[in-house]
Amino acid sequence: MAVPVSQAWTVASYVLKQKIKGRKRYPLVLMLEPLFRCNLACAGCGKIQYPAHILKSDLSPEECFRAVEECGAPMVSIPGGEPLLHPKMPEIVAGLVARNKYVYMCTNALLLKEKLHLFKPSKYLSFSVHVDGEREHHDFSVCREGGYDIAMEGIRAAVAAGFRVTTNTTLFDGADPNSVRRHFDQLMAAGVESMMVSPGYTYDKAPDQNHFLGKAKSRRLFRAILSNRKKTWQFNTHPLFSEFLMGKRNFECTPWGMPTFSIFGWQKPCYLLQDGYADTFQELMETTEWENYGAKSGNPRCANCMVHSGHEASAVDYNFSSLKGFLVTASKYMFPSTYPDPDAQKLLNEWKPEHATPLVQIQSSASDNELQTVSGD
Amino acid sequence: MATEQQEHLKIEQLRQHSADEIETIAGREKENLEGWIPSLATDTEIREALEKAFDYRGDITITLKDGAKVEGYLFDRRSGSSLKDSFARVLPTNDRTKVNVAYSDIAALAFSGRDAAAGKTFEAWVKKYWEKKAAGEKNIQIEPEKLD
Repeated sequence: MAVPVSQAWTVASYVLKQKIKGRKRYPLVLMLEPLFRCNLACAGCGKIQYPAHILKSDLSPEECFRAVEECGAPMVSIPGGEPLLHPKMPEIVAGLVARNKYVYMCTNALLLKEKLHLFKPSKYLSFSVHVDGEREHHDFSVCREGGYDIAMEGIRAAVAAGFRVTTNTTLFDGADPNSVRRHFDQLMAAGVESMMVSPGYTYDKAPDQNHFLGKAKSRRLFRAILSNRKKTWQFNTHPLFSEFLMGKRNFECTPWGMPTFSIFGWQKPCYLLQDGYADTFQELMETTEWENYGAKSGNPRCANCMVHSGHEASAVDYNFSSLKGFLVTASKYMFPSTYPDPDAQKLLNEWKPEHATPLVQIQSSASDNELQTVSGD
Repeated sequence: MATEQQEHLKIEQLRQHSADEIETIAGREKENLEGWIPSLATDTEIREALEKAFDYRGDITITLKDGAKVEGYLFDRRSGSSLKDSFARVLPTNDRTKVNVAYSDIAALAFSGRDAAAGKTFEAWVKKYWEKKAAGEKNIQIEPEKLD
């Protein structure tokens, strides 16, 4: 895993403190959503579908700081919307860095190059750029031709200016593992510190309910992508979460591991499901019926979720829950595996895209039985 | 969004399938609620209408029994044992202060605002994309709506 030693130490000591205090539920990353508006209108995103007065609302820096202090998590992820549209984002980021929080500012990077000068490189700050695949995959996914080139330009500019830059890739049904692997090569060549990859999910508010990956397809896809990996690839996901995606181990969801705060308050129960809001973090933790969430609960809305926000925290918790967990994880960090797997290589070699041209096959609304081949994932 | 009973039946139906089988089950159906004025004659109708309002991606207008109106985005609801201790939580159109409205104070409800999710499906994007591609357009994109 490619994160600074200081960050790994901060997280490890934080988790150990929670364990010593006997806290059963503790947050690892605060998902801080200071705004919902965006300069993209991706067809797969339900985060931006609000009336104009909601899209125009921002969390103030003070509201952000209060949430961060209430929550206490050592890491803060700032998704949105597009955080760079927030007029006080530099102030928010500076305030979080001053509080020694490790900040991942999630951005589509359309504005990154022109706004870089408003930020200061720090070991606490990483721009987490959302790039959903190679050029045509990404452009189709974000519903904007040319988006990939601008994002990559932003990445290169941020790297050149001395910032930590990571990436986040979300995969949907129809993704081509060979293309994803080429995409990883391109990202590493651009100088990113590390990459994150996760399957998309059919959360209730997502406009697209038909192109997300179920568990069986996810495992097959991620086994093809992440086995036989190149040594040059650096990931900032927990190694055991990576194994979870590849179907090598199972984790239950830890929905409180990455709580979400927005203008509505603390979202119940997680980043993707919206079952209500609490006014304080304590209220969120005490009043959410956590037992109703996660695959084990039998809640069908959770049945196919493998998203990092619910499962990576489980991998981290596993490290610190037993000596075995600790030793397994330590060995993964000290002796990182490339996960050699001849069957996965065969899978990769024989992978047939579902169609002649990239990337997704959907049922045409115009013709009930005719399948239409389209570009995108 | 389905009513509570429809939702319950759907969940019960889904429970009969394994996680991998659910992969092939169609996604949730979306109701066209824009402009709807539900009947609030019974407690059940009130609760169901507010559940739908919670799922709605547009503004609603609540008329209180004293004649006052609350217009805004219903971002949360808290269901208690009676209508008196059940609350709709609204972010008004012109204010950031959250307003709590007891279900028992509600005289009428209207799905008055435009549904911000209407027509924005992946399929709609794909259709538009191919139409534009066929017409020889370059730099095809969906632009975010203007907010002013």
